[in-house]
Amino acid sequence: MKRGKNKEKTNSERRRFVKTAALSALALLGEGRAESRQDGRFWKDPREIQGVEASGRKADSRVVHSVCLGCNARCGNRMVVKDGRLEGVEGNPYHPYNSLGAPINYSTPAAEAMSLPSPVCGKAIEAPEYVYSPYRILQPLKRAGRRGEGKFEPIEWDQLIKEIAFGGRLFAHLGEDRRVAGLKDLDSDAPVDPRAPELGPLRNAFVFMTGRLQHGRKAFIDRFVKNSFGSINRVGHTDICGLGFRMGNFIFTEGKQVELKADPWGAEYILVLGANIYSALQPGVNTYGAAVAKRYSENRVRFTVVDPRGHEATAHADAWIPIKPGQDGAFAMGMIRWIIENRAYNMEYLCAPNAGEARALGNSAYVNATHLVITDPGHPNYRKFLRMSDLRPDTKKGNGDAYVVLSQGDGLPVPFNEARRGCLDEERVLIDAQGRRIAVKTAFRLMKQGAMEYSLEEYAGFAGVERALIEQTAREFSSHAPRAAVCQYHGAGNYVCGTYAAYAVAVLNALVGSVETRGGYMSSGGGAATWKKGLFDLKNFPQRRRPGGIRISRAKAAYENTTEFKRKKATSGTGYPARRPWFPFTKGGLCVETLSGIDQQYPYGCKALFTYFFNPVYSIPGGYRFRETLADPDKVPLHVSIDVGINESNLYADYIVPDVTYAEGHYGWLSPHAPALKFTGIRTPCIEPLTGQTEDGRPFCLETFLIDLASAIGLPGFGDSVIPDSNGGHHSLHRAEEFYLRGFANIACNAGLPEAAPDELGLVETNYPVARHKNLLPESAWKKTAYMLARGGIFKTYEDVFEGNLFRHGLERVVLYNERLAVTKNSLSGEYFPGTLKYLPPADSLGRIIDSRDRDYPFHLVTYKLNIHTQSRTVWHLLALEILPENRVLMHEEDAGLLGLKNGDRVRLLSRGNPRGVQGRLKTVRTCRKGCVCVSFHYGHTQLGASSLMVKDGNKVFLGGEKVWAGGKLLPDPAFARGLNPNYLSNLDESLGDTPMVDLVGGIPDFSTTRVRVVRDQ
Amino acid sequence: MSADMSSRRDLLKGAGIFFLSMARPGSARAGMPEFSEKVPQWAMIIDLNRCMGCQSCVIACKAENETVRGGFLTRIVSKEVGTCPSVRLISSPVLCHHCKDPKCLFACPNGAIFKLSCGMVVTDWERCTGDGNCVKACPHGARIQDSRFGNRADACDFCLHRLEKGLLPACVEACPSRARIFGDLTNPQGEFLSYIEDMGFLDRDRRVNMESRVLYVPLTAKMRC
Repeated sequence: MKRGKNKEKTNSERRRFVKTAALSALALLGEGRAESRQDGRFWKDPREIQGVEASGRKADSRVVHSVCLGCNARCGNRMVVKDGRLEGVEGNPYHPYNSLGAPINYSTPAAEAMSLPSPVCGKAIEAPEYVYSPYRILQPLKRAGRRGEGKFEPIEWDQLIKEIAFGGRLFAHLGEDRRVAGLKDLDSDAPVDPRAPELGPLRNAFVFMTGRLQHGRKAFIDRFVKNSFGSINRVGHTDICGLGFRMGNFIFTEGKQVELKADPWGAEYILVLGANIYSALQPGVNTYGAAVAKRYSENRVRFTVVDPRGHEATAHADAWIPIKPGQDGAFAMGMIRWIIENRAYNMEYLCAPNAGEARALGNSAYVNATHLVITDPGHPNYRKFLRMSDLRPDTKKGNGDAYVVLSQGDGLPVPFNEARRGCLDEERVLIDAQGRRIAVKTAFRLMKQGAMEYSLEEYAGFAGVERALIEQTAREFSSHAPRAAVCQYHGAGNYVCGTYAAYAVAVLNALVGSVETRGGYMSSGGGAATWKKGLFDLKNFPQRRRPGGIRISRAKAAYENTTEFKRKKATSGTGYPARRPWFPFTKGGLCVETLSGIDQQYPYGCKALFTYFFNPVYSIPGGYRFRETLADPDKVPLHVSIDVGINESNLYADYIVPDVTYAEGHYGWLSPHAPALKFTGIRTPCIEPLTGQTEDGRPFCLETFLIDLASAIGLPGFGDSVIPDSNGGHHSLHRAEEFYLRGFANIACNAGLPEAAPDELGLVETNYPVARHKNLLPESAWKKTAYMLARGGIFKTYEDVFEGNLFRHGLERVVLYNERLAVTKNSLSGEYFPGTLKYLPPADSLGRIIDSRDRDYPFHLVTYKLNIHTQSRTVWHLLALEILPENRVLMHEEDAGLLGLKNGDRVRLLSRGNPRGVQGRLKTVRTCRKGCVCVSFHYGHTQLGASSLMVKDGNKVFLGGEKVWAGGKLLPDPAFARGLNPNYLSNLDESLGDTPMVDLVGGIPDFSTTRVRVVRDQ
Repeated sequence: MSADMSSRRDLLKGAGIFFLSMARPGSARAGMPEFSEKVPQWAMIIDLNRCMGCQSCVIACKAENETVRGGFLTRIVSKEVGTCPSVRLISSPVLCHHCKDPKCLFACPNGAIFKLSCGMVVTDWERCTGDGNCVKACPHGARIQDSRFGNRADACDFCLHRLEKGLLPACVEACPSRARIFGDLTNPQGEFLSYIEDMGFLDRDRRVNMESRVLYVPLTAKMRC
C-alpha cells in the first residue's frame, strides 16, 4: 500500500508481461488457457496503472508490534513503516484480541510471527489517514482573537512555557484587561476557599481534564497533576465513556470492578443489552463481536439483542427486542421477577454464604444473598448489615465484624464465614445480648421486595415490550446457566436514574450463578505485571505531594461533611438541598459535572484548565452548553489544550500544544477490558514525531510540555535525580522515554521474561524507534524489554486464567444489597438511596419523569456508534467517510409515513434543550423502535477541518501546509461537516443552571432520555 | 498455536511453495474433485453466519487497492428482512464472483475482460475504453469505473498482486471473525476444506460447483419471536 503518495508519480504504465518462464508467478496462475478470450500473453493490470503494491512486509520496511488507538479497545497492531512513513496496519498474532482469543504461542520467535496474518478492524487500518491528516497541528498556538473566534498564531515553545507558568497580562494586545494567573500562582497550599477549608488548597483550582487517555500517559499526567503539582482535579471521562453500566457493576461488586461482561469464548447464551457487539464495544468488534460471530456459526452460542435499534448483531440473534430507551431496568426487573417466581434461580448457590462454600459448588464468587440487613429504623446501624458484634458485643476478636446469616436447619444466627448454608428468603426479629429486638431481613428478601414492587405486566409496560418476551428471555437465560450471562454496555443505564437499571441487569447473573465463571459474567484478568515498582520506582520521588480536598465534580465526596451543609443545616434545619448534586458513591471520572462545576463555580472556581485529547463540546450529551463556559474568562481564566488538531472545544482555548499521535508516541501499557483475559499490551512509536521540536531536539508533545512546565515552575518529580532505582541510584526525567522505557523494564522484569535472543534483539533494535534509548536501561533489562517489545506486550491465553471453570483472577463476592449505597443520601433531597434493586423511571433532578414532562416531543432520541468510527476524532478517516459520507436520522418507516416524510427528506430535530434544533437527512428503516429516532455520533463536525480558521503562518502550523492554508486562512474540507451530532440535542437540567443532565447517584450523563420533535426542514 | 492460525499459515506456506515450484498435482484426497489443470483454482467462501458487517474488509480493500474515491471492489450490503419486531439487519459482502460465464466478459466490445485459467476474471486496462458496458452487465453490482483513469472498469481480482507474494487477499486477512475463507479448490486445506465438504458446495459427482468463485453460506438463524 502506498496511500498518500503522489499518484501522478507512480508511473505505472509499465507493461506487465506474463512470461511463460517458470519463475513467473502469473504464469502459474494460468496464462492464456482456453477459457480466456484473450491470447493471455499479457494484459495491463489495473493495479499496475493505479500504482498499487502488495502490502505486507517488504525487504526495506520496518515493522513494530504495538497497540492500536483507533478506539480504546486495545487490540494489537503490527505497524508497517517504509521510508519513515506509516504505510499499513495489520494485527499482532501474539495478541488474543487479534486472534479470536487463541493467539500464537508466546514463545514463538518474532521473525516467524511477522509473517503470520492477523486481523484488525477498519479503524486500525485507517491509522495513516489519521496520522497524516493535513489538519494536524505541528506548532504551538496562542489565541489571536476572542475566545472561540477561531483566530490563532504560532508561539515559540519557550515563550509558551513562560506564559503558562507565570501568567501575566497575556492578552492585553487583544484588549483584554486582565492578569491571567499562571500555574506558578496556583502552586500554593493556601485554601482555595478560606471559608470552606475542606475543599483543599489553591492547587485544586488547576483542573486537568483528559479525553482519550490510556495507561502510560495516565501515569505521566497523574505524576504531574496529582503528585507534583498537588491538585486533586485530574479528571477522566468515564462518565461519557459509559458510566451507566459501570455504576451497576460498581454497586454489584462494591466498587471492586466496574466492567464485567459475558465471556464470549465460553458462554452458551448471551443477553446483549445496550451493547453494540458487532460494531463497537471494548474489547472491540475485532475481538468480542468476532468471537461471538464465529462461535455462532459453529452453533456454540446464541444471543438475544435488547435494544431500541436493531443493529448488525440482529443478523444472528435469537430475537431482537426493541425496548423503550431508558427502560433496561424495567426489562431486567421483569426478568428477575419471573426468575424468582419460577424458582429459576440457583438456590443452592445463593445459599452459600461465603467464598469457600461457593467454590465448593464450582463458583468463583459468592453472593451475599443470605446476609442479614438491619431494617429497624430505630437501630443505630439501621440499613447496615447485621454484624456479630450487634448481637453479642463480646464476640471473639476478629469475628465481631462478621456478617450474620441464619443457619439452614436450626435457623440460628451465625457468622457467615462459619456457616455452610444460610436461609435465603427470610426476615426475623432477633434479640441481642441486652435483650433488645433487632428486625432483620436477608439481602435476598430485600432484593426480592424491590423486584416485586411492580407486576410483570407493569414492567413490560414500562419497557414497552410484550410480557411474553420478558418471560421467554428469562426462561432462555436461566436455562443456559451457568454458561449464560449479560453483555451490557454503553447503552444500558447510560442515562439519568441509570444506576439502578444497570444494577438490576448485573444482578441477573448472580441469580443464575454465572458470576466469574467460564462462560459467565466475568471481569478482566488484569495486567501481566506492574510498571510502578521493581528495577525503578516510578511512583515515589522526593517532595511527592498527595492531593487533598474535594474534586470540583464532587465525586467521592459527601455533602454532609461540608461547611455548606453545616451552615444550611444551622439555618434551615435539614441542610438540604445542596446547590448542585454530590456523588459520594460513584466510580468517578465525572467530566460533565467537572465542567458544570466550573460553569457554576461550585464548590469553587477553576483558575486554570488543561484539556488533553478532549472534545467535550462535541462528545458530551448537551456539551454545546459548555461553549459559553469555555468562552468566559471569568469561569475559565486560562485554558490550555493539548491535542492533535483544533476541535469544537479547544477552539476556545488560549493555547494549543501540538501533540503526537499513537504512531509517534502515546507510550503505554494496556491491560485488557473485561472479560477474562490477562495481558499487558505495550505501545511504542513506529515513526518519528511529525510535530516540531524544542531546541534540544525533543518533540512538541504532552510529555515535553509537562516536563518543561514543571521545570519552569520548579515542581518536584521532573528533572534531575527524580526516579529512584532499586540499587539506591537516582535517574533524571527530561524526556518521555526516561519514564516509559523504565516502566517497560519494570513490567518485563517483574513478569520474569527471558532476555531476547540475539536475532530478536537485532529485530527490535533495527525496527523500533524506542531502541535508540536502550542505554537508559541496564543491558539485561533492555534485553528482557526487547523480548516483550518484539511481541507487542505480554499475553496469557484464555485457558491460563481458569482453574477448571473457576476464574483465577475474579472477585470474591458480589452483592444483592450494598451497604455503603444504602447509607448514602441524595444530596438534593436528603433521602437515602435504596441499597438494593429499585425500579426508577428516568427523571430530572427535581424528580419529574421525563417521559411525562416532555410529551410535546414525541420521539425518543437514541444515539449509537458506527463500526467505522470512534466517537469524535475519526472524521479524519477518509475511507470511513467514503463508506458513509453522512450519518442519517433513522426513523421507522411507519412513523415516517404518519408524518408524511419519506426516505432522504431533510428534517429538523428539535428538543426542549435545543429548540432551534439540528438538521439532518431521514433514513426510513424497520430496525428502529417505533417512536424513536436513532442518530449516530462521529458526524456533523464544525471543526477538525470542517470550518475555516484564521491561523497566522498556517502553512507551517498544519501538516498539510499550503494544501490546506491560503491567504491566512485554513481551507476547510466540507466532507467533515456533513451529517449531524445528536449530542447537540440533549436536554439540560433547568433547575441546575441549565447544565447537562446527570444521574444523581453516579453522575451518569444522559445519553438516552432526550425527546425530540421531527419536522420537515424548509 | 491455535488450529485456525496454523491452518491459515499453512495455506500461505502452501501458496508460497506453489508459486516457487510449479503446480502440485490435484488433491489426492479421496472423494475430492480432480482438476485437470495444474493451476490453483482460487475461491472465496463467505459464511454469512459469521459476517458482522463490520466493514473491516471494505476498508482493508480500499487501503490495499487504493480504488477511486467512492468506488469499492468489495462492499457490505445491509438489508432489513422481516417485519417489526422480527426484523433483522443482515450484512452480506459483495464482490466479483469470477463467474464461470462472466456476463461482463461478453458485454465488453473490446475484449478487455478475460478469465484466467485459475478462474479469475481480470480486465486489461490497455484494451478497456471505459465504456461501462461491463459494469451494467454485472449481475452482482461488483464492477466500478475509475474516473482517475478514463473511467476504465475495475473489479476484485482476489488481490492477485498479494497472492503472487504468498499473501492472502486483503479482505480475508482483515476479517476478524473469519467470515471470508479463501483457498484453492484443487488443494483445499483446513477450514476451507471443511466448508467445501460440509456446506454442500459439491454436486452429486462430488465436483465443486464452478459457476462462481464466491460461495455463500446462507444465514441459518430464525428469530423466535
